[in-house]
Amino acid sequence: MTKQCKTSVDPGHVVIDVGDGAAIPKPSDKGLVSAWRLSFAGALIVLACLLYFKPDPYLRIFKFVPDGILVTFQVTVYSIALALVFGLITGLGRISRNKYVNLVASTYVEIVRGVPLLVQLFYIYYALGRLVHVPDLLAAVLSMSVCYGAYMGEVFRAGITAVPVGQTEAARSLGFNRTQTMYHVILPQAWRTILPPVGNEFIALLKDTSLVSILGVADLLRRGREYASESFQYFETFTMVAVIYLIITLILSKLVSIMEERLSHHVKR
Amino acid sequence: MSNDNPIIRITDVSKYFDQVAALQSVSLDVAAGEKVVIIGPSGSGKSTLLRTINRLEDISRGKIVVDGFDLDDATVDINKVRMEVGMVFQSFNLFPHKTVLQNVTLAPIKLKGMTKADADAMAQKLLDKVGILEKADVFPAKLSGGQQQRVAIARALAMNPKIMLFDEPTSALDPEMIGEVLDVMVRLAREGMTMVCVTHEMGFAREVADRIVFMDEGQILEVATPAEFFVSPKHPRTQKFLEQIL
Repeated sequence: MTKQCKTSVDPGHVVIDVGDGAAIPKPSDKGLVSAWRLSFAGALIVLACLLYFKPDPYLRIFKFVPDGILVTFQVTVYSIALALVFGLITGLGRISRNKYVNLVASTYVEIVRGVPLLVQLFYIYYALGRLVHVPDLLAAVLSMSVCYGAYMGEVFRAGITAVPVGQTEAARSLGFNRTQTMYHVILPQAWRTILPPVGNEFIALLKDTSLVSILGVADLLRRGREYASESFQYFETFTMVAVIYLIITLILSKLVSIMEERLSHHVKR
Repeated sequence: MSNDNPIIRITDVSKYFDQVAALQSVSLDVAAGEKVVIIGPSGSGKSTLLRTINRLEDISRGKIVVDGFDLDDATVDINKVRMEVGMVFQSFNLFPHKTVLQNVTLAPIKLKGMTKADADAMAQKLLDKVGILEKADVFPAKLSGGQQQRVAIARALAMNPKIMLFDEPTSALDPEMIGEVLDVMVRLAREGMTMVCVTHEMGFAREVADRIVFMDEGQILEVATPAEFFVSPKHPRTQKFLEQIL
């Protein structure tokens, strides 16, 4: 705090500190970092307490679900990778000057945005499953990434159009063609603006993978339901499931913010 | 200083934005090694004219031939032409995600297949020439406007162009930084570079230009040597313009 503004109504009593005038806290602000630490430490402590003080049933649940965690992790990672590809293609399609490419990309976004993810899951799994056999995991990954690809397409489009037109002109005037300009100049810059919202999508995607438990996919939630329906210990089971989801999500959000920091560091120095 | 074989030949070029004419039947030849300064009030089409030379702006009518390439010929690879034509912008447009050195080496490495070592060596020479070698490993955001513009000039020179286009290179600069950029441009001119500059710097125009082109409302009203232009302008619009700014 470099500057302080003191307002005294009753002299010596009311002191209003408005800080250094920066309305938006910087990422380096300690107050923001501690929110993550607090949640993460809290989640770990809750987990440890449950396992230590009530090993029955919590430890048993904890031993029952790990293969579900693995499946959740698989679905998430494959879907993120595929959604990024779909997103980039869609984003580029949405800014394409070719009207057919543009139309296809825009229609894809409109349709996918307009149908609930759960309905899309059912559609790919059951409706398409009648025509061709789609393995469970593939159906899950396909529907997740088709859905999130559309959302990410919008994020990519916004990020690309946010790069000043002068950057394109500078690159083109040096002799770069459209593709080279996009690859060497525009996308690396767009990636900076894109990363925070894409990080949010990653986290939302991870949580939405719980929907695939409706299908035959034995993810974390599905394993939890299996345990609960055998033991009737619904409260304990879903407490454990929620804590595990929270821990995984927090780790992912930390990874995203580390990446974000690296990128901004690279530019601002 | 007309020439039978100009490096830039602009013939009867018109350009319309919707219904508004940005350029009306503009013709101009630039000889190799010549320095042409385009001046005129804002909105007169001078930047638009400059930007048609490397086809950052398409034209509606007419013909532009640069270094023997007809820009509207579908068989001409515009990217090849652009490699021969360096451009410096009012707003610098350095690549913020690259260091100063990488800004200069990016195009030679990717477009000319230069090795990184060769490109680095060449870039260092150019950065030394524009007097900013000590900032080679810094990101552009850390530089002043004048420094950024000098890097932008080095970046354009790195492609070893035959022609350099300057689009109001000092208009976005603090007054005290204008000199350092103009110095670099004057030195470049003395080395014999073909230059077309849109600028408001009359001192620079007087010192460097072989010919001054005066534009208003999308038309070239007068072409003259600096001596004629500043001492005895012919067109009444030119006289009025000069009265206002001098």
